[in-house]
Amino acid sequence: MNLPSAVLSASVLIMFVSPLVLLGLLSLAAAYPHRFSEKVVGRWTQLALVVGLAAAITGLTDYLTTGSDPVVISYGTWFSFGHGSFAVEFVADGLSLGFAALALSICGVVSSFSFRYLHREPGFHRYFIQFSMFVLGITLVALAGTIEVLFAGWELIGLSSALLVGFFHERRAPVVNALRVFVVYRISDAAMLGAAILLHHWAGSGSLSQLFSSSPSSVSVLDSRQVLTIAALLIVAVSGKSALLPFSGWLPRAMEGPTPSSAVYYGALSIHAGCFLLLRAEPLLAQSDGARVLAALLGLSTTIYATIAARVQTDVKSALSFASLTQVGIIVVEIALGFRWVAFIHIIGHVCFRVLQFLRAPNILHDLHDIENRIGGHIDVAHDDVAPLRRWTRGLYLAALERGFVDSLLDRFAVDPFCRIVRRLDGLDRVLSGGRHGAGEGP
Amino acid sequence: MTCVVLWLAAIGLPPLLVAALGHFGLSTERLRSAAVACAGISVAACSAIFVVPALRALTVAWPGEAHYLLGDALLRVSEFSAPLVVLPSALWLVTVAVTPRGRLDRAGLKRTALASLSLTIAFLTESPLVLVLIWILSNGLFLEALGAPKHRRVRRVVGFYLWGSAALLCAGIALLTVGIGGTTGAWLIFVAILIRKGIFPFHAWLPEAFENGRLGPAVLFSAPQLGTYVAILLVIPHATPGMLRTVATLSLITAVYGGALAVVQRDARRACGYLFVSQSALVMAGLDCTSVEALAGSLIIWISAALAFAGMTRTVLTLEARRGRLDLGVHHGGYEQMPVLATSFLVLGLACTGFPGTLGFVGEEMLVDGAVRSFPMLGLLVIVTSALTGIAVLRMYFSLFCGRPAAALELRLHRGETTTFAAIAVTLVLAGLAPQPFVESRIRASHTILLRGTENSGRATRHSSFSLSRSLIAERGSTEPQRDGVLESILKWRPGIQLGSQVDGDVRNQLRHQQRVRTSIALLLFLGGGPALSQEAEALDKTGTACGGPSSVAGQIEEDARAREPAFRFPRVDDWPDPWSRGRSSLPTSMASSSASITTAPVLERIPHRLEIRP
Repeated sequence: MNLPSAVLSASVLIMFVSPLVLLGLLSLAAAYPHRFSEKVVGRWTQLALVVGLAAAITGLTDYLTTGSDPVVISYGTWFSFGHGSFAVEFVADGLSLGFAALALSICGVVSSFSFRYLHREPGFHRYFIQFSMFVLGITLVALAGTIEVLFAGWELIGLSSALLVGFFHERRAPVVNALRVFVVYRISDAAMLGAAILLHHWAGSGSLSQLFSSSPSSVSVLDSRQVLTIAALLIVAVSGKSALLPFSGWLPRAMEGPTPSSAVYYGALSIHAGCFLLLRAEPLLAQSDGARVLAALLGLSTTIYATIAARVQTDVKSALSFASLTQVGIIVVEIALGFRWVAFIHIIGHVCFRVLQFLRAPNILHDLHDIENRIGGHIDVAHDDVAPLRRWTRGLYLAALERGFVDSLLDRFAVDPFCRIVRRLDGLDRVLSGGRHGAGEGP
Repeated sequence: MTCVVLWLAAIGLPPLLVAALGHFGLSTERLRSAAVACAGISVAACSAIFVVPALRALTVAWPGEAHYLLGDALLRVSEFSAPLVVLPSALWLVTVAVTPRGRLDRAGLKRTALASLSLTIAFLTESPLVLVLIWILSNGLFLEALGAPKHRRVRRVVGFYLWGSAALLCAGIALLTVGIGGTTGAWLIFVAILIRKGIFPFHAWLPEAFENGRLGPAVLFSAPQLGTYVAILLVIPHATPGMLRTVATLSLITAVYGGALAVVQRDARRACGYLFVSQSALVMAGLDCTSVEALAGSLIIWISAALAFAGMTRTVLTLEARRGRLDLGVHHGGYEQMPVLATSFLVLGLACTGFPGTLGFVGEEMLVDGAVRSFPMLGLLVIVTSALTGIAVLRMYFSLFCGRPAAALELRLHRGETTTFAAIAVTLVLAGLAPQPFVESRIRASHTILLRGTENSGRATRHSSFSLSRSLIAERGSTEPQRDGVLESILKWRPGIQLGSQVDGDVRNQLRHQQRVRTSIALLLFLGGGPALSQEAEALDKTGTACGGPSSVAGQIEEDARAREPAFRFPRVDDWPDPWSRGRSSLPTSMASSSASITTAPVLERIPHRLEIRP
């Protein structure tokens, strides 16, 4: 194992600590919102992100100039117990440092935008706390050297995402959609931990971080069925986080949040976190053709679904979210085919492009009026949708309008049966306890 | 000695003082102020355990000869019980500090003080007799709280379950005391505990008590989890592995069941009830004693869940005092008026779900990590439980604090309420961020619990008339199976044996555990195990399964370690492939161009051409 250089070690530490400190400071500031103005909060956020980004660039430069192999950097343990421990361990390689640098730069841009966009918004402090929670989470996911660290980051992203979807919580729709997003994220979390536990149980490894080991020997003790099971669970986790089918329904619902958060989560980083996990786990994926086929099929079907659905959306953020999903599906196919380099470059390009589009989205009407004023008339936009449709095209159109009936199907075949069974059990409990029969209502 | 007496007085007198003041003509609000002060003193006095080392090894023996019913000591503070002693006082403080004025009554304040005192005494003693008395007393206090006519039906249901559990407990202890029907006695105690803790299929009364009874007394009665304490002290040292596995399986079913039912509830109280059932069951699941780590994890969840639920249920009561009964199908709003309460509630709920950064995360991490090898189903179901409780908690949070308030009610909190809720949340977060001292304490406690099993098994061969192991031996009726039973019990209970099966075990720990096993077997030999047992020990020595002679232990362990070393080696994460590494080929230009060309796709037509959306 290579020893990390002092510069690299310090850089990674700063990348991790700066959002952590920011989260702590903003949480304290939120307790006294009148003492800490928006300007103070904005400056703290920008300072933390600039410091983190500088550290990321320094670390990446140091790694590229001095190192050749991935480096494990350990900062001790958070807590240890018997034979187990929560090791604060990060891995520094091109993938992790590159993704972390990308994440911090995007977060910097979006925080700067948010500072103006949310000026005098009642939830200004709340937004920046949740945003800093996300920054910490995505940094942990990018740099994670153990499954525990990865899981901690994964959870932080999930919670902050759900809370930001429900940011405008005085309205019902954002809150309902936030809960829906969170449910999918919890399924994703459970699948990821389930994969880790099964690997631990079958392979007997003392460290769950081996989940993403590249060496063929790491899975040599597992038979093909076990590898497929673990990989399938991992793909479920990725599907939940990256909105692949059949979980795609939450993505347009997540557009209820503020535009900057939509940009950073669903246009840029959060939606690619699943792809990043798949990139990390690609060596495991490579051991099972079945898993690769499954991932490729999921990616392909998601791409086809999203590109059709994107064409009929009537609001720009939903259209953008499906456009993002189209590219995410392609990235998953690339990973499944083993084009890791292509996938990583694709992620970088897509993240930057989509963030720009999302951040420009609120100004779209203003821009349109500006253009029309300049050209002195209305822009002539062709409306092909009024052309007569054939029967199958009409069906496709309706399916696209209904976003592929994904949510309805999930409700019908998963959510409703679950709620029905559980309510019956609740009714039984009430009978057993001598109470009135009847049960509550599901989420 | 004087110091101990003073300490016991500082713990015991404040609740008695509040109970006494209740008989005088003090106004309810003044009595509450006195109760807050007394509860604070009691918490401080109990916390002295962590400061004064002598108190952590306090033992007050019974006068006269030891007897099973009386226990080894009247009072005993151990590593295991030290944090638990503080728990009732802390819950008492929370209860009296934030109970809404409209729900205060003098009888309730007296009852709360006595309940706190009785539970503190329970956690200070290891005597079966005292525990049974406190079990019955706490039942009585809880049922007295349900004395109002509108609670008559709930009182009847709860009374049926609780008095049933008390009867089973008494019967079980009686059987163990007289030394006959040991297995039956242990099962009776276990069933009593399952009823009291609301483990499936005896869970129905608990959500009902939360929903239609009085929430405050229900939390004070349930959250300290006296049943778990009794299980650890009275049953686990004697229980067979099959018995423990059965209880753990039932507990896991309950944990998932409670989490699932909490998701669909409309009533906030009932949702709290099911969440509590789920968390309480997780604690019992860890008592399967699969490993020291899993057991320690469950002990941490015990404390975390108690504090978190006290806070969550008090939050519900605080909101009910302002809005009436809370329907989770409605978004009640109010975040802007009470952000601290909302944030605290979310943090407390997340602590229950094992969110990173909270004490609950530490407990669940240890529980899963400790059980994953020998009982993977536990790990998987804990994850499912965590997912379900997470959904339930966030749903409650959204319902209780998001949305637009229906009426212009005064929702602001008093300073005392804000401080109390924030303090509980901060405690759980700080304990989660720096958990190592507490983790070490719980690990030591787990070792003690597991060792106690061995000691009791060993004692069975000598002269104790009450050990379950002895009862089991007596029931078998022949000499050889007796030794098998004793040895099997020890080997099953030794943490060293179980940990020794782990692939990556620490050799020093192995040595320590092996030495303990050797000591236990030597003790058995000395106490009358006889030549046959000696032969068994020798046989074990040869096979390297359990222990070796004094000279061969280290060598044997090294051999074991070599034998257990996996044929393969997992490469560490530094073996991950890296697209940036120098040793690999750089990105072909053709690939870069193809990746760029992927983004070219038809344009969304309704968007002006200047702002093209490219799927």
